[in-house]
Amino acid sequence: MEGLVIRDLSKTYYDIYMGQHVAAVEAISLEIAPGEFVAILGPSGCGKTTLLNMVAGFIPPTRGEILLNGRRIQGPGPDRGVVFQSFALFPWKTVLDNVAFGLKMRGVPREERDRIAREYIALVGLDGFEHRYPHELSGGMQQRVGVARVLANNPDLLLMDEPFASVDAQTRMTLQEELTRIWETRHPTILFVTHDVEEAVFLANRVVVLTPRPGRVRESVAVPLPRPRSWQHLIEDPDYKSLVARVLGLVRAPA
Amino acid sequence: MMPLRRWLRRLLTYPAVQGAGPFVLLVALWAVVVQLEIYPRTFFPGPQDVLRSFVNLVYKGVLPTYLQDSVTRLAVGAGAGICVGIPLGLLIGLHPASYRFFWPLIIFFQAIGDIAWLPILLIWFGFTLTTMTFVIVYTVIFPMIFNTALGVRTVPVEMIRAAQSLGASRWRVLVEVLLPGALPNVITGLRNGLGYGWRALIAAEIIVGTSGIGFMMFDARRSGSVVEMILGMILLGILWYVVDAWILRPAERATIERWGLVRQTP
Repeated sequence: MEGLVIRDLSKTYYDIYMGQHVAAVEAISLEIAPGEFVAILGPSGCGKTTLLNMVAGFIPPTRGEILLNGRRIQGPGPDRGVVFQSFALFPWKTVLDNVAFGLKMRGVPREERDRIAREYIALVGLDGFEHRYPHELSGGMQQRVGVARVLANNPDLLLMDEPFASVDAQTRMTLQEELTRIWETRHPTILFVTHDVEEAVFLANRVVVLTPRPGRVRESVAVPLPRPRSWQHLIEDPDYKSLVARVLGLVRAPA
Repeated sequence: MMPLRRWLRRLLTYPAVQGAGPFVLLVALWAVVVQLEIYPRTFFPGPQDVLRSFVNLVYKGVLPTYLQDSVTRLAVGAGAGICVGIPLGLLIGLHPASYRFFWPLIIFFQAIGDIAWLPILLIWFGFTLTTMTFVIVYTVIFPMIFNTALGVRTVPVEMIRAAQSLGASRWRVLVEVLLPGALPNVITGLRNGLGYGWRALIAAEIIVGTSGIGFMMFDARRSGSVVEMILGMILLGILWYVVDAWILRPAERATIERWGLVRQTP
């Protein structure tokens, strides 16, 4: 089976302060087809980041399994690229070397990987900043590097953990539009975790709403809004508005 | 007096020696106090006496040899500190079992400070280079171990995860992420280690007494040459200043300041 398959996934961990086992995620089953853009939405603390960390292979599940293109996920790997809320760029590497990092790990020769990296730097609109260090860039520009770094590695699945939550509101809207543009042209498979209802509806083809802790799938909502999408058009769109209202109702409903 | 002052002023126009400014003032003050002859010149010689002694000892070839001995020992200490301290620091910072094994030992042996080793070292190795090398290496490695171990633990977990999910092996994570991430602390460890080591070395040279700046200073006691003692003290300060300004600071500017890991100094 192609794409991502999550079967009966649970994660419990021992809380040393409470002195007991706590369920973060409970019996989540989910399928994401290749080329799909899925947003995982839920209130804070509902385990959506835990879910993403398990798919990324950073933490092992307590029960259940995750398959990507039929292969069971055992740990982190370059088939799943992660974009972090904190950017997690390497401060000691220039923009070019950050973006070329995955290619370097795969043994792509210097000239070739620089050429590919420049391509992706241009894709996210950062031409001319190749030789800057991350601390010399704004937050929005840093996250563009974070996105380019993952895209340049050409993963089967893009995992995005509230990637735009730590940039200002205007920059966030620009980055969201840029991400939809990239998705519309290249159709990467994306699992996008957020707590922002409007962001989820704006970006995704499908919004999966989780319950409060322990996170379970409450409902999967299709987003049939036309593309290309832009805030200018969607903000007044009645379909968009009614979808946001519906999803918001699902998020806020008691467990 | 005047040509010296003019020479100093011209020197000050170079940014590289602007750091000497405070010292020029200090030396001037010193010269004035000596000129007032509050204390007998034999016990409290002036800058010109010390300079004359410096020229004299350089001419005789004694000072260059001693300087070379001390600096070589410092360099050996630095090299050993880097080669032993950093790997050990990485091991105990990253490997819980190694931490549990090595930590009590490290704490125990840290308490037996450099000088406390000297009596037994003198029995084992005598008044030799081995004794002095042992003392300086011993002093340098502890701060290197502690700071490297701390440094690797300050690297954000997401940075390690980012590298892993971009296909980095454990070895590449170490080289590409953990080592550069630990560098601010490693440099602090090197700075502290060398600072302590430099002092320990002078103490060892005084006691072991075969060559070096420390030996020169203690040997001057026999001939009652206060000039040479002061010269030794000044050389200690200058040498450390040179190590800082020519090695440590440029290294910091080119790495951790350039990368924005620490704020730039004014």
